[in-house]
Amino acid sequence: MELTGWDAAAVCAKAITYAATLGAAGAIFFLSYCGSLLDELLRSRIRSLAGSLLIAAALASGAKVLLSGASMSGELAGMFDSGFLGMILGAGEGRATGMRMAGLALAALAIPSNPRFRALALLGAAAAAISFAGVGHIRGLLPNAAPLLLLCLHLLCAAFWLGALGPLLIAARDGSDREAALLASRFGKLALGVVALLLAAGAGVLWTLIGDAAQFWSSDYGRMMAMKLLMVAALLSIAAVNKLYLTPKLLSGNAKAVIYFRRSVKTEMVLGALILLITAAFTTVAGPPQ
Amino acid sequence: MLKQAILALALSGTMLAGPCMAHAKLQSSFPAKDAHLTAAPKALTLTFNEAAQLAVLKLTGGGKEIPIAVDKNAKASPSFTFPLPALAPGSYTVQWTAVAADDGHVTKGSFAFSISA
Repeated sequence: MELTGWDAAAVCAKAITYAATLGAAGAIFFLSYCGSLLDELLRSRIRSLAGSLLIAAALASGAKVLLSGASMSGELAGMFDSGFLGMILGAGEGRATGMRMAGLALAALAIPSNPRFRALALLGAAAAAISFAGVGHIRGLLPNAAPLLLLCLHLLCAAFWLGALGPLLIAARDGSDREAALLASRFGKLALGVVALLLAAGAGVLWTLIGDAAQFWSSDYGRMMAMKLLMVAALLSIAAVNKLYLTPKLLSGNAKAVIYFRRSVKTEMVLGALILLITAAFTTVAGPPQ
Repeated sequence: MLKQAILALALSGTMLAGPCMAHAKLQSSFPAKDAHLTAAPKALTLTFNEAAQLAVLKLTGGGKEIPIAVDKNAKASPSFTFPLPALAPGSYTVQWTAVAADDGHVTKGSFAFSISA
């Protein structure tokens, strides 16, 4: 598989769109289920993080569309060619991007401190997270809606998990050790069920896309998916250490635990970014074996 | 309020529904890939495994690009045919880029053919 510079740029823009959108949605989810444990300083900083990610997601979404035009044409002029852009937007990307922008706009209601708009902000965050299902290989399986719904569930769970890492790092860095411990514990309890759902939904989507297991290893899509699964396994290992070892140490008041917890969360963020980059790659330049 | 939010989220999921196709692969062409023709073809035909929009089509031969007009606003179709000018003997390369109409996946490819004197 040959990649041009424009192809690589389009993949990077897609990865940044994933990271910013899921990060923003997850931060808004975090504000909701951990709100009672947050002091005003942490709440304000997490809202700022969410706001920055919302803006980044909107800009990256636009850049993704423009770079897709350049990737199609193989030259810069393609970014501004109405014919290419019309094709991209008309082929599902318009639906997905429109839903994402609407979701991000609603999610922005979480930024002011008025709790009246919390439900709408959560709805917007969820809509933005699942917008990625509006375009892509999974749509080739319609009218069977089950894979599409599984993908939506997978995306929501990914937003919950990856989007919590930024707020957890803020808590570990700027909050008291006790606050960090309570937040890690609250997140960890919820994450058990969410991660199980994430894995089950992801397995379901993969099963429906890869019709023949023998083709998995012989296709670019399958090999890149295998790399993603390896990264996910590494991420799960670190999450398990956090849950089973570091969080109890945090709760017991161990002074060094918060330092290890910060490092652990940063490592999870790096792995999460790599997972999103690999996902952007195999959903752009490869397709499931048919 | 929670019930309303769940209902709204479910309804927003209907926005994701729509007509569906998978990504487009070139099924056949005329001239065929690596064909050695004894006479210049009058037309270039690309046939995909399903309906797609053709975004880019370049025919090059002898180091020069032979202009072919591609209508980017044309409706999705599984097959495209373009009339060709008289082609001199030699080797030619066709590069194409297509967009599957619903899943938006972009596929690219190329093939070569030659015309003997």
